[in-house]
Amino acid sequence: MARNELILTDVTKRFGGLTAVDALSLKVESGQIYGIIGPNGAGKTTVFNCITGIYKSEEGSVNWRGEEIRGMTPYQIVDRGIVRTFQTIRLFSQMSVAENIMSGRHIKSRQSWWHGIIHTPGSRRDELENWKKVEEQLDFFRLGEYAASPTGSLPYGIQRRVEMARAMAVDPTLLILDEPAAGLNDKETLVLLETIFKIRDKGVTVLLIEHDMDMVMEVTDYLTVINFGKQIAEGTPEQIQKDSAVIEAYLGSEDDDDE
Amino acid sequence: MDIFLQQLANGLTIGSMFALVALGYTMVYGVMKLINFAHGDMVAASAFVGLTIYTQVMGQATSLPAVIIIFLLSALAMACIGVILERIAYRPLRTAPRLSAVVSALGASLVIQNGIMLIWGPRMRIFPELVPQIYWDFGGVVISLIQVIILVLSLVLMVTLYLFVEKTRMGAAIRAASIDQDAARLMGINVNSIIALIFIIGSSLGAVGGLFIGLYYRGITFNMGWQYGLYAFIAAIIGGIGNIPGAMLGGMLLGLFNAFIAGYISSTWSDAFTFILLIVILIVRPTGILGERVAEKV
Amino acid sequence: MEKLKRFSLPGFILVMAVLPHLLDSSWQEVAITFLVFSVVALSQDIILGKSGMFHMGQGLFFGMGAYATAILNNEFGWPILATIPVAILVPALIGILLAGPIVHLRGDYLLVVTIGFNIVFVQVLQNNLGGVTGGPNGIFGLDSLSLLGVELMSQLSVYYFAFAVLLLTFWVMRNLEGSKAGRALHYLREDQLAAESIGINTRVYKIFAFGLGAGLAGLAGTVFAVQYSAVSPEAFDFIQSVLFFSIVIVGGSSIPGVLLGVFVMFVVPEIFREFATWRYFIFGLAMIAAMILRPRGIVPATFGKIPKFLIKGGGHGA
Repeated sequence: MARNELILTDVTKRFGGLTAVDALSLKVESGQIYGIIGPNGAGKTTVFNCITGIYKSEEGSVNWRGEEIRGMTPYQIVDRGIVRTFQTIRLFSQMSVAENIMSGRHIKSRQSWWHGIIHTPGSRRDELENWKKVEEQLDFFRLGEYAASPTGSLPYGIQRRVEMARAMAVDPTLLILDEPAAGLNDKETLVLLETIFKIRDKGVTVLLIEHDMDMVMEVTDYLTVINFGKQIAEGTPEQIQKDSAVIEAYLGSEDDDDE
Repeated sequence: MDIFLQQLANGLTIGSMFALVALGYTMVYGVMKLINFAHGDMVAASAFVGLTIYTQVMGQATSLPAVIIIFLLSALAMACIGVILERIAYRPLRTAPRLSAVVSALGASLVIQNGIMLIWGPRMRIFPELVPQIYWDFGGVVISLIQVIILVLSLVLMVTLYLFVEKTRMGAAIRAASIDQDAARLMGINVNSIIALIFIIGSSLGAVGGLFIGLYYRGITFNMGWQYGLYAFIAAIIGGIGNIPGAMLGGMLLGLFNAFIAGYISSTWSDAFTFILLIVILIVRPTGILGERVAEKV
Repeated sequence: MEKLKRFSLPGFILVMAVLPHLLDSSWQEVAITFLVFSVVALSQDIILGKSGMFHMGQGLFFGMGAYATAILNNEFGWPILATIPVAILVPALIGILLAGPIVHLRGDYLLVVTIGFNIVFVQVLQNNLGGVTGGPNGIFGLDSLSLLGVELMSQLSVYYFAFAVLLLTFWVMRNLEGSKAGRALHYLREDQLAAESIGINTRVYKIFAFGLGAGLAGLAGTVFAVQYSAVSPEAFDFIQSVLFFSIVIVGGSSIPGVLLGVFVMFVVPEIFREFATWRYFIFGLAMIAAMILRPRGIVPATFGKIPKFLIKGGGHGA
């Protein structure tokens, strides 16, 4: 039975002598909002890079709905319904918001390469359908007024929303968010929370890294805490809050900068 | 065997010229991440400047002090032009898109190349015989005094440069600036002066290379900079661009490769073989022989 | 301003359609050159400007098309028009084959390798490989255009042939802009990693850009061969490629910018013939000045071509 679940087993990623992720195992179940937290440099983003194909882990297995995806390229992984955002926001900054979101439709579009040279009635229809999908995302993320604006000139908080809209345009099964609240003010964070719940209600599984503890505790169903690339605890937010190893890891490194 | 030894000698001579010119490319690239397309044309300009100093300033003297003065003045002239070039054509574009700087470099190349043509004319000029024509015959392998001078002087210059970059404070600043300009600036290094210094060193070495080309090949043309510059740049890439020993190694390898192609196959195909070598090396080692792989931070 | 923009392309097309009737034969020749080189520069723009790949060897594909036409016509007696498919497909396929192993190379490495392809190509032509390229002198004495058995000898017909090819290029580029493939090129130019992470197989689209750019350049090559009824290696020298490269960047990778670049680079010198020796010196200065004053090009490409129904009120429109 192909359930929408992601299972990491003993994933290890090294950079030279440094082991960034050390025999990490975790299981994200269908419909969950799953959080990965940990102090700076704990290897959280590296885990995401291993899942999304930007890095290939040296050891272990990354299994998605019963299929081994370790070693696949990023676009093959997107094709299987896993999409991510970046901690540092990577938009196509000269292009408009709508065009950025349209990039998420790339993999769903039925156009062939040669439609780039000659259009057909089918390709025109496909083009229109996908722009309609972009419109849905513009509405969902309340970005309509910015549709034609170049993303590079927009405020940070809106850029974060555009990046999420772009990822959602893929119609993903699993959405991976790398510190979605970084750089947002309290009000924007609140809107983000709401958005994440709404995304889950659409049946999308959400996996996120976050520094903002209050937010993590509020939004996630299940958590894994890692430090130095290793899992030190897992459980529901309530369990994690009482875990002594977690408290120690966090008291050991208070600073709250980016990785 | 004779052909082999003869081409070995020729290859080392050509290779040391490539290496000298390649150093200018690689040092600029190391710090600015820019192909200084004008460098090859400065090399050509140096040969013409040397020619004019010889006829107009030195009264066609070929004594050792006179030759030394010709070399020093040409190097000085090119160092000045290098600094001016950087100030006018490159500095304003440091934060611009990469391709804009490339086009500015191409523009600078056209300006210098055609500047030479406007001053010295479009026809080939003959470079003076600054070094006596002395040849030694080692059982069929002929080596000239010029070849010995070129090889020895190039090696001396390269070793000096290497020691300067590796052992001195200023050298350390250059290395720091090529790893990370911003961090170097935060550490109190004046990056503008470092870049100026790199242009002074690179252009002077290129100037010497240009005079060597004049001495060795005798015929000099206004547009020869593209040819030698391209080869030297390929040498820098083969060695690993941005890497100083890499440029020396790449220059020597490319010189030898070309000499053997000319000796054993045919010089009419030298360009083709050179580029095939380059492409093969880049496919096998995308960052050159001594270049380091850089991973993108995500 | 917006209105001006909307009418500028049809206006340009209209002017170009009547232009040859206002020119004497030597200026007609210049106008044909403008049309042909515009096509080459636009084809270069697909690879360099739109996809952001540092490609400096467009002369290779241009020359390959010209030589395909010349060889098939001269050696094998094919009518000129019959050579067109070959003149498009051969450069396109070679472009795809050459691009395969090199598109992953980082910017400057790609640049040098493409220069290399161009130089090797010219050397092959000069050395008369296979005995069909005519060596350094090239091939001359091609037939003139003929359509349905009627020979179109006049320069005017060459002009309209070139014009038709330019219009075709406009059409293809417009189709490209409004397609999945065309957007993919923009995405991968802006941020390759982000493009891959949103599901774009960047390698395939880079190779596609090379194939398409090469095919269009090859078609321009046919027109070039017809115009001079001859081809020779130096017309496809990599110095030419350097000029096309510069035109795209200085122009700003937009159709008006590129056309302006071609005009300045190839038509203006015909007006100031007495300064011919100063030509490249002045171009060099102009290139530096243009880049310093307008680092994104004279007429930078604009984005935001999105369907009207997506633009809703608000003062935020681009």
